[in-house]
Amino acid sequence: MSKISFMEVIDRTFEGQYMSQEKFDLEVFVPELSKVINKYKIQYDPDIHVPNDDDLADRVFQAGLEFYQNVGTYCVDTERVVRFTEAEISAALKAAAAEVYFGEGKDRRRLVGRKPDSSLSPFCFLGAGGVSVSSDELFIKLVQAYGEIDIADSLTMPSMIQVNGRRVRPNSPLEVMAAIYSTRLMREGLTRAGRPGMPTMNAIACASSDIAKVAGSIGLRPTDGWMMGSTAELKIETPRLNEIAYVRELGGRIVAETTPLLGGYCGGPEGVAVASVAYHLHAIMILRGDCQLHAPLHIKHVCATDPRVLWALSIGAQAITRNSHNPLMISPFMAAGPMEEMCFFETAAAVTAIIASGSNLEGLITHGGTTTDLLGPLTTQFSGEVAHAVVGIDRKEADSIVGRLCEKYKGNLENAPKGKTYQQAYDVKTGKPLPESLHTYEHMKKVIADYGISV
Amino acid sequence: MGESEILVKLKQAVIGLNQEAAVAAAKEAIAAGMAPLKAIEEGLQPGVEIIGDKFDKLECFLPELIGSAKVFRAAVDVLEPEIAKLGVSKHTSGIAVIGTVKGDIHKIGKDIVVLLLKTRGFEVHDLGEDVPASEFLNAAENFNADIVGLSALLNTTMPAQQDVINLFKEQGVREKYKLMVGGAPVTQEWADEIGADAYAKTAEEGVSIALTYMSKKVTT
Repeated sequence: MSKISFMEVIDRTFEGQYMSQEKFDLEVFVPELSKVINKYKIQYDPDIHVPNDDDLADRVFQAGLEFYQNVGTYCVDTERVVRFTEAEISAALKAAAAEVYFGEGKDRRRLVGRKPDSSLSPFCFLGAGGVSVSSDELFIKLVQAYGEIDIADSLTMPSMIQVNGRRVRPNSPLEVMAAIYSTRLMREGLTRAGRPGMPTMNAIACASSDIAKVAGSIGLRPTDGWMMGSTAELKIETPRLNEIAYVRELGGRIVAETTPLLGGYCGGPEGVAVASVAYHLHAIMILRGDCQLHAPLHIKHVCATDPRVLWALSIGAQAITRNSHNPLMISPFMAAGPMEEMCFFETAAAVTAIIASGSNLEGLITHGGTTTDLLGPLTTQFSGEVAHAVVGIDRKEADSIVGRLCEKYKGNLENAPKGKTYQQAYDVKTGKPLPESLHTYEHMKKVIADYGISV
Repeated sequence: MGESEILVKLKQAVIGLNQEAAVAAAKEAIAAGMAPLKAIEEGLQPGVEIIGDKFDKLECFLPELIGSAKVFRAAVDVLEPEIAKLGVSKHTSGIAVIGTVKGDIHKIGKDIVVLLLKTRGFEVHDLGEDVPASEFLNAAENFNADIVGLSALLNTTMPAQQDVINLFKEQGVREKYKLMVGGAPVTQEWADEIGADAYAKTAEEGVSIALTYMSKKVTT
């Protein structure tokens, strides 16, 4: 059986079962999730952060598979449920990409699926994570700085929030202009970094409308990553399908973004773990992803470093990477902001869990990623360095490390410190870190060495 | 059965998400001659508040929060005709109009605020997502709202909160309403910059601010 076609997916968005969104959420998603959690005996253990239990990982995968088969994806605009049979899901998993090449020339990089406890170096997708910046100059400076991080395989861009001093508005000409200018500034920054062929994966982060995304794509290449998002939980909007139709024709590499919420319809950590597998299938079948970019979040703290999210992230990743060859990247959100010691502890914990669980990395979004100019290359570089440093550490050891790191910050998740803006942590003219920032970064590298992470 | 036992039953039914038990306890309250408002305020409401507090600490999750709201509603549906029969005016904490601003389709955060406001006695008009400024204005005027809640989950859609406030000012109705803003990227600084009356970091905080505002409004 061949992988189901995109045209067939579109048909099902018009012909699938008609249902209100409320019914999908409360009468399908929630009870079906609860059913498979019980059936496959999936239980969160608060003493464990990185489970080392292959049987549990495989049960989470089976639960996710059965759950997705029964639930499917809800198309918000047509109010139809798109479902697939077990055979269709199985064929799609077999046909899914096992490797993806991004970028051009000497900056071309290969993303492959890893496995738990793997000694394979991770793909590091580093950068701004779509955090907004206040000026064009800072945009270029940051792209250059991220591009100069040797271990960055691909880049995630900042987002422009103003054009000629005017705040960007969705569905307006300002948004279209911001999208076009973003990709131009991105190329300039990457050229200044000496990596003109380096792939980007969210260059038009400021664009929400179809026209702005198409406009922004003027400056993109098929070998860039084209990020396609979906809405929690297991929802798709027609504009996203429109984007997918467009990018498929361009031959672009699709990075399928998925974000289950702990505390939302998924419930607790067990639900997030199972939903992560369902999202992997959704990413392949609906979003037509060449790889999955997964970002489980705590609904209130907007972070992945809460111990319950870490457990779900870890076992969900193990379930996926043990049973699917399609590459997985995880983007962990930090509760604390840049240059805070807490942010470094959180980063070390989350990245260790991610790498030991068989995933690749996107880094790094801090303090919810929602404050303008609250970003910088040092914390990002640190995330990539940790990712490489913990390769080869097995899940058992990772669990011990992550547990000890969690103790350093978990009591502060509710009121995590905001950290420093770029202007507070770097020399805005030269882009160099201020001495205090450099000191904190070097100090924290020494601190985490005591936890068994030698950066 | 004494009133205190019935009140406990109402509370426990909400906490246990047991709609059948809540409806039965509401009927018992009527049969026992209990003031229906007392059944709501001293029986159902404390149950809802316990679930709300648990959700705030994520000791329970969104499905339980929604479930408790449904149980609350089912019991209130039994009690409301009795309130009408007694000629007592329907109890509301206030009238709120709420929506996610233009260009933004995120709904979960806004939906949680809607749920919590409803269970704290507010009459809530949920305008949905991607709501134009004019729709907020029309709804506020038509429903004689006390509070207008503006949700935005993206940096790029935050300016739409400002658009709503500007429109209210231009139309000369700004001072009639308490304009509240929220959403992940929203901060107190942003609320101050655009002239909002209040910013809430969490849904629970938003409800608390709304209740405080209404209690002050009633006393003045």
